[in-house]
Amino acid sequence: MKLPSLFRRTPFRLTLLFLALFAAAASAVLAWVYVVSASEARSAAEASVRAEVEVLAGIHRERGDNALNAALIERVSRGGSYLYVLSDRAGAIKTANISQSPFDPRAAGDDPRWDDFRVPDVDEDGRVQMRQAIGVETPLGPNDLLFVGQDIGDIEDYLARLTQALWAAMALVLILGLVGGLIISRNVERGMGRIQTVVSAVQGGDLKARAEVRGRGDELDELADGLNIMLDRMEASMASIRHAGDAIAHDLRSPLTRMRAKLEVALIDAEAGRIDAVDALQVALSEADDLLKTFNTVLAIARLQAAKTPEMDRFDAGDLAADMAELYQPAAEDKGLDFGHEVDRGLFIRASRAFLSQALANLIDNAIKYTPPGGAVMLRARRRSSGEIEFSITDTGPGVPAEDRDRVTQRFVRLENSRTEPGSGLGLALVAAVAEAHAGRLQIDEGPGAVDQDDGGVSGPGLRVAFILPPAD
Amino acid sequence: MRILVVEDDADAAGAMVRGLNEAGNEVVHAPDGAYGLIEAQKGGFDVLIVDRMMPRLDGVGMVETLRGMGDQTPVLFLSALGEVEDRVTGLKAGADDYLVKPYAFAELIARVDALARRRETGGVQTVLKVGDLEMNLIARTVHRGETEIDLQPREFQLLEFLMRHAGQSVTRTMLLEKVWEYHFDPQTNVIDVHISRLRAKIDKGFDRQMLQTVRGAGYRLEA
Repeated sequence: MKLPSLFRRTPFRLTLLFLALFAAAASAVLAWVYVVSASEARSAAEASVRAEVEVLAGIHRERGDNALNAALIERVSRGGSYLYVLSDRAGAIKTANISQSPFDPRAAGDDPRWDDFRVPDVDEDGRVQMRQAIGVETPLGPNDLLFVGQDIGDIEDYLARLTQALWAAMALVLILGLVGGLIISRNVERGMGRIQTVVSAVQGGDLKARAEVRGRGDELDELADGLNIMLDRMEASMASIRHAGDAIAHDLRSPLTRMRAKLEVALIDAEAGRIDAVDALQVALSEADDLLKTFNTVLAIARLQAAKTPEMDRFDAGDLAADMAELYQPAAEDKGLDFGHEVDRGLFIRASRAFLSQALANLIDNAIKYTPPGGAVMLRARRRSSGEIEFSITDTGPGVPAEDRDRVTQRFVRLENSRTEPGSGLGLALVAAVAEAHAGRLQIDEGPGAVDQDDGGVSGPGLRVAFILPPAD
Repeated sequence: MRILVVEDDADAAGAMVRGLNEAGNEVVHAPDGAYGLIEAQKGGFDVLIVDRMMPRLDGVGMVETLRGMGDQTPVLFLSALGEVEDRVTGLKAGADDYLVKPYAFAELIARVDALARRRETGGVQTVLKVGDLEMNLIARTVHRGETEIDLQPREFQLLEFLMRHAGQSVTRTMLLEKVWEYHFDPQTNVIDVHISRLRAKIDKGFDRQMLQTVRGAGYRLEA
């Protein structure tokens, strides 16, 4: 059998479960209240009956049958809640305010007998009703039996009303609970609805769909927020993959076209005997190599950006910086640059050594490439006051204008004055992607400013690129 | 040398077999890992060149099996997978070197020569000698003839590598990988500058230039 759809909703089910638990607990409390009140009332009635028997037995013992009878008559005529029957063992009643004792007098032994019984009474409207009572029959001397009882109907009534009230309260709770459950269920449904809508839309291929955040800061808002952030990331990485695809297509098409044209011309020239075919082939080969390099770099950037985290080790960034300085120093000096390094040790980071060394190599390559002879390049590695680890490469080259600093980390962006230098326009893009994959960042600033050169010229303002990584614990 | 080429791409294998033949080697080709394993077990190869991604049995599986059987023939992995992790997996499987596709043919030849040579010069040496150049690995001193040559630690490592591969071409990438242990591609001619400094120290003032540049390939130390 299929349950109505409402019963398959989690909030409604939870409400039902809660109500069932509440009802069970309330019933237990009710039963306990009932049992405790009833036994309290009964033992109080028993005690007062016992005291009354004590008094009457005393009168009988000290002053005899007649005094007892007189006391009973006096008590009966005065009224009160006690019930009396004084009879002999044959059952003949001497004095009483009820028609008969609940006990059979002929079965009486020598010990008092207790019993619960019902006694007829007349209410204010003149109707006869049976009320609950308890009583004890006590033998007096060899012949007589004294029964003393008490009407506990009022207590019973009270308990009955209490029970009724509690049942009514429980019914009310159940009804309110069900209604509440329905309302909660509908509210949650509506909240989930906005998220469900987004999920369906994304399933249908609409990556732009976003869940509405109502600003209440509740868990549904948190979920909607999380979903939106996830979708933002997905969309960005899809866009980045698409962009990488476009970029590869764009950047490979022109050199491929160029290479094809050159090969065609070379073929004609070689056939006519004007050039050596080997030279043409060598040019074509090196163009093919450049294309492959470009392709590999674009692929590496796309992989880093698509959040494929590289394998990371913990190591001293200072050692790496010193190694890089040692590798690059001769090449820099060969170009007539003053290459210095200030490297602190114990700068522990968690990073991919391969990607990080590639990133540093790209930065140093750039500094050496763009700084004119006579200039200086400085590599530093230190811990910032914030605890972060910073590599910085400062040069005295032409620098990057402030308005272009954000742009140079994009793929295939090459500034006007650098177009004459060989390069793919991917170096800084890869560095930025490596920084991002390591939860770090790249800062591009002006270098030391204009510097007078030995030959009397002026260079600068230079460039300072800082590669900042979070420290390892 | 006798070389086994295990490569499923017929065109790539054809070019490789032709190139290795022209370099004076005897080459056997196997079209996948399973055939490769059968051929390799016949023995008698100096170097195995194994592609990583192949049908039936991939390169890693093939080399692991071969090493499991106690065959220690040097293996060069070829792969289009260039990520660091892939390189590590390949070397862990028992390969001795790793070359990422596409590669320059000179690079392949240089690496194959280096692997084959490494096998010949097994055993621990304390003194390396190439012509009148002598390197003492214990005292960490270098002499050319009577002249003592003072080298920086990295220059010493560089010369040691060149001496161990004397007479063979070594490429710039090989030097960067084996001496500096970097796996990237510098734009600046960093290696050339280190080589020219080393050359200035060992060849300057001598008639015969030992450290030679091989066009299109790299460098070679000649006795």
